[in-house]
Amino acid sequence: MTHKTEIKAKIDGVDAALKTALCRQSAPEGFADQVLARIAAQNLAQPPERRNSWFSLFMQPILTQPIFIQPVVRWAALAAFATAMIFGVYIYNIRREHAQGEAAKKQLMLALRVAGSKLQLAKSKVNDMNTDPTRHVKE
Amino acid sequence: MQKKWLWILLLASPLLAGAQDAQIPPDIQKLSARAKETVEVTMDGPMLRWASKFLSADDPDEERAAKLVANLTGIYVRSFEFDKEGAYTSAEVDELRSQFHSPGWSRVVGVRSAAEGDNVDIFFKLENDKMAGIVIIAAEPKELTFVNIVGPLELDQLADLGGEFGVPKLDRKTLKHAEKAEKGEQK
Repeated sequence: MTHKTEIKAKIDGVDAALKTALCRQSAPEGFADQVLARIAAQNLAQPPERRNSWFSLFMQPILTQPIFIQPVVRWAALAAFATAMIFGVYIYNIRREHAQGEAAKKQLMLALRVAGSKLQLAKSKVNDMNTDPTRHVKE
Repeated sequence: MQKKWLWILLLASPLLAGAQDAQIPPDIQKLSARAKETVEVTMDGPMLRWASKFLSADDPDEERAAKLVANLTGIYVRSFEFDKEGAYTSAEVDELRSQFHSPGWSRVVGVRSAAEGDNVDIFFKLENDKMAGIVIIAAEPKELTFVNIVGPLELDQLADLGGEFGVPKLDRKTLKHAEKAEKGEQK
């Protein structure tokens, strides 16, 4: 009998403990604001996800070479690259100017040829007049 | 102040363009619509100077061309080739010629060939008894050519122009030779 009462007492104890633990309780005041503030703080703390730029794709393997660790070498490489670019643009401009000049020269020679051929035509007609009096010439 | 000058330049630009176009009679452009082939060369002073920089001294033609254009201020050519005869009227050519019947201009050559239908006019512009320009108007049955060379031109240079630049020199001998060759082909 005592054993049964002991068990019952234990069950009642557990039951009471469960009721206490699972009873509905309202959140403390400002709880929701605290949660939102913490989430915001976490988002700020996280660094933005970095995309792989073309620079990091192509230049990173080169710049991470032991030789490029020294800033002087890096600057020298950058200066060489810039010089090559400027030289390339300069050569391109010279070639373009030369092509335009050649085109202008062709135009000039064409104009002179047309003028020359028409002068020749006039000259030959004038010569013809001397042999053929039926044609009219004014000179 | 700078804006004022910019406005003046903007307003004057059509006038400047018009002044440049005066080297070519405006009516002649109408013919390009009827032409099968058109040759248009417009070279003003700076363009001539620039183009002449590219003329080679090693090439005799180009060397002569460089000497010729050294003092010129413009070369303007309009040449139209037509599919058939009668694509342009004689009134249109007369209109073209009439623009050079003005003081300062004198027609030194005028050829009217009834047989072949070739008409060539050469006008000289004289300033202080010196040649300051030449205009050639060549009206052929299927071709009309207008050439305006602006600037001082020496007569010996003109002779060069007539006999060089890839154009064979035509004289009586060559003409007779050509006639014989033509007759031979016909036989």
